Amino acid sequence: MERDIELALVERLRRGDPNAFDDVYAAFNTRLFTFLVRLSRRRDVAEDLLEETWLRLVKHARRLGADTRLGPWLFTVARNLHVSYIRSRMLEDSTAASLIALWPFSLERSSPFEAAAASELERRIERALAAMPAASREVLLLVAVAGLDHSDAADICGITPEALRQRLHRARETLSKVLERDTEAGAPAPRGITSCPIR
Amino acid sequence: MSDPLTRLLAELPPAEPDPLRAERTRRGCRALLARQASRAPATRGLSADRAAMRVWELLIAGLGVAYLTEVIVQALQVYGLS
Repeated sequence: MERDIELALVERLRRGDPNAFDDVYAAFNTRLFTFLVRLSRRRDVAEDLLEETWLRLVKHARRLGADTRLGPWLFTVARNLHVSYIRSRMLEDSTAASLIALWPFSLERSSPFEAAAASELERRIERALAAMPAASREVLLLVAVAGLDHSDAADICGITPEALRQRLHRARETLSKVLERDTEAGAPAPRGITSCPIR
Repeated sequence: MSDPLTRLLAELPPAEPDPLRAERTRRGCRALLARQASRAPATRGLSADRAAMRVWELLIAGLGVAYLTEVIVQALQVYGLS
């Protein structure tokens, strides 16, 4: 989104213009949902968090700074809502995990993308992403999938750009290793992945 | 970042939320924003009324203090204490 268009949208949002909301919604809804569903690995959770993100924007519309950058603002809210959700579920999950451990077979669920992925390669990437730790997954999603620049992604995650660079490096390394392991196990190699230098 | 891994990630298909729920959310947010905007001028009017009321309260309090002071001064004069 062009900066002057974005500034005009922010001004209209501050004045409470519903058409400005529609424009922002059209520009970011799919990107936010894609980020949230891959981060949470659950459609229902992602839809709840997405709705809450938009409600936060509306409730804060009049208090937005005139120079607010909508993309980073929305992704920060979405990411923080996901962190709150994870914290609230932690106790519940640890109890559930101890019960599941007693179950005689694995109850691992596939991410919603795995089933829908069009190709084997996409399926493998989705599976590898879903298996990564949340902190690694979120930086990959913000930078590589949502296309945010490093400084915005660092602000969204609440870390320094240097910390983000390191986290991104580790995340890409992990993802490459998982894909390589898959290849060794018999899956076709994605072109260029195994030989790519990881920075 | 234009290595093959990054390209693969960037090319992953986007996800679409449930269209019915998305539309409900959009309409709800629009309505809320419009409500907030329509309430804003009313709130400003209310605060102007409150400010005028406060001026009147201060004026009446000032007149009351002046009246009581004068009563006390007159009473002291009547009893020859001033």
